Amino acid sequence: MRSGRPRRPEAGESVSTRRAGAHLRTPALFLTPAFVVIALFFVLPAVVTVFLSLTDLSARTMTNPTFVGLANYEYILSSRWTPIVVRNTVLYVTLTLAFNVVMGLALAVSTSLLPDRIGNGLRLLWLLPRITSPVIYVLIWQALLAPAPFGLVGNLMGISRNVVNAHPWPTVILANGLIGASLGMLIFTAAIRSIPRDLFHASAVDGATPWQTVRRVVLPLMRWPIMFVTAYQTLSLLASFEYILLLTNGGPGFYTTEVWSLWAYKEAFQSYVGNVEFGLGAAMAAVLVVVGIVASLVYLRVFRFDELLSRPKVEVN
Amino acid sequence: MTKLVRTTLFAVVLAALVAATAHAQRTVNLVGWAIGPDDPAIHRAENLEAAVDLMNAALEERGADYRVAIETDFETVSWDDYRRRILLGFESGQAPDIIISSHIDIGTWADAGYIAPLDDYIDRYEAFGDIADSLWDFVTYKGSVWGVPLNPEARPFYFNKKLLAELGWSDEEIAELPERVRSGDFTWRDVIDVSVQAVEAGVVEEGHGYWHRPVNGPDFWHTYYAFGGRLQDEETGQLVFTRDAALGMLTLYRDMVEQGVLTRDLINMPWNDWHRAVTDGRVLFNSAGTWTWAQWALEFGMGFEAVEETFGHALQPAAEPGGRPNTLSQPLAHMLFAGSENLDVAAELLSYVVSPELDVRALESAHLPVLESTRALPEFVEDEFLSQVVYMLDYTTAQPIHSGFGRYSDVFFRAISAVEAGQVDPEEGVEIVVDELRRALGDEVIIE
Repeated sequence: MRSGRPRRPEAGESVSTRRAGAHLRTPALFLTPAFVVIALFFVLPAVVTVFLSLTDLSARTMTNPTFVGLANYEYILSSRWTPIVVRNTVLYVTLTLAFNVVMGLALAVSTSLLPDRIGNGLRLLWLLPRITSPVIYVLIWQALLAPAPFGLVGNLMGISRNVVNAHPWPTVILANGLIGASLGMLIFTAAIRSIPRDLFHASAVDGATPWQTVRRVVLPLMRWPIMFVTAYQTLSLLASFEYILLLTNGGPGFYTTEVWSLWAYKEAFQSYVGNVEFGLGAAMAAVLVVVGIVASLVYLRVFRFDELLSRPKVEVN
Repeated sequence: MTKLVRTTLFAVVLAALVAATAHAQRTVNLVGWAIGPDDPAIHRAENLEAAVDLMNAALEERGADYRVAIETDFETVSWDDYRRRILLGFESGQAPDIIISSHIDIGTWADAGYIAPLDDYIDRYEAFGDIADSLWDFVTYKGSVWGVPLNPEARPFYFNKKLLAELGWSDEEIAELPERVRSGDFTWRDVIDVSVQAVEAGVVEEGHGYWHRPVNGPDFWHTYYAFGGRLQDEETGQLVFTRDAALGMLTLYRDMVEQGVLTRDLINMPWNDWHRAVTDGRVLFNSAGTWTWAQWALEFGMGFEAVEETFGHALQPAAEPGGRPNTLSQPLAHMLFAGSENLDVAAELLSYVVSPELDVRALESAHLPVLESTRALPEFVEDEFLSQVVYMLDYTTAQPIHSGFGRYSDVFFRAISAVEAGQVDPEEGVEIVVDELRRALGDEVIIE
């Protein structure tokens, strides 16, 4: 096998220079589409967002925005609701993430232990909420949780309260979690299926119980899928608010279930009437971008992502 | 193909082209957006289409070299979605030529330069002179007229006559209720007392005595006004927040929840559930709009006869005995996109929309007509419900036209929600609103 490291070119060695260029051309070719997509859909919007956050752009000043420096950030910091919304966001992301990962893992393991036909059928059922439109999905929740005599839950439990208002947090987390768990379920199931069968046979020969097989064989081999699902869902939950918007609209009362992304959306796009503040909304979104980048870096470090990308210690040709 | 056939075909095509050129006629294509969101208000979009026919007939008569066509869109989902669509249309330069929206949108949209002032057009077309004078105030902002009003309404206080009878009220007592409200004899405190009796007697469930609207919107301000509140300073145009009025209103709602009159889960209830509970006869009193009458009859399947048998209507009660009852109007307005390439044509089209035969269709959604001459038409005179509620316009109030009012309204609505959910007490709610208004609106709001 040839070493990939090119010889140091000497003066007049044009052939070697061309070879060094050729060496970089193929990776560059493959990486360009990814770089273009990242630049267009992440870097550019993030830069525009930061730029907008330094202006007073609103529906009223759309034609003539002015530069206001860090005024929008000061406004956010001075709000009495900022600590509450931060707490809500942490609560929402942590609890929903925990539900998603644990539930996804439990579903993947339990359905893998079943015969394929039954396991596949159950997984298909769990996918139904994911392939349902968010609005329809929330309408079903509202119909179930409406006060008696309209709501099924109210009727069964004999209570005439709107369960969404009575228990907003459990409702929000369950509604999101039941959808989120299906992503983990699919990825974890694929990961379990890729574990060599020999290991299961070996553990069976050693007399391991199903639980011991899960604990000693399956889970240790699931580190990377768990890392991926955790990191992906954290970022996705930080930016997601559609189910909260439709279920509680951040209420009841003052900011009870309002998360950061919903707050930003409302400042930038939603008002019963009149002005909406794009500049302020952009400042809130910029904060979210920074939090997302920091969270990604932490995950990469905690899960030792570099190990995943390092050359394997044993290479089979 | 023989030479003869080819020559004949060529001659026919040439002749057709010459004929078409001789009668060349431009078509000006307009776009108009309207919102219900209630279905019976579809006439708002249909009237634009009908006006095109009227205008084209007039154009033909005067030998104009163009005709008008319009593509309309009728929104039935929510005001939020509708306004967002319009805003995106403004930003991208693709807003419709004609926009039908609330008169209170004028503040922001005029300030931003999205909509065109209409003063010149109002003077140019006689038809606009037939619009009731008082309605022009709703669409005048900073000295200019920005919209052509349509579909004014009143927002009555409804009572369920059957439930009151079940509670032991005689027919006379029920029939007298609107007059008692009008004279200030029956107040919001009486609403609580009667509701408590109805709950105790098992006529309605707990929390089903009185229901206001479940989401943010205009129907809270008449109660704020009843407690002596002001929303806008007439001289300076600044927004105003009256602490005592807000405290009185929030205390009223807190008491309603605590005494089992108003369910603490009302806020954020889907509108359909709200209407179903009311039309099923499970709510004693409610505040809604005149258009709701048509909604209950048509959308919720009651039929007009049953609606009339079941519901009575009055002004929104006064806060104190002898106080002034009121209602609130939020007329819509036809506005013209300032970036439209066909402003003149669109403005002329509006002069046909305000013809009596189209204006009278407001009755279909239980709205009031805008033209003086429509109110003389037999259709209006014979409409029992509308002719009974038209007096309410003498007691009406309005929301301010101010670009900061959206934020003001959001903050106050959150306070209502928080007080009803038991999250804060009324005093705390008022202080939070004051802080938020000062922070968000600064000099644009007067706290009194």
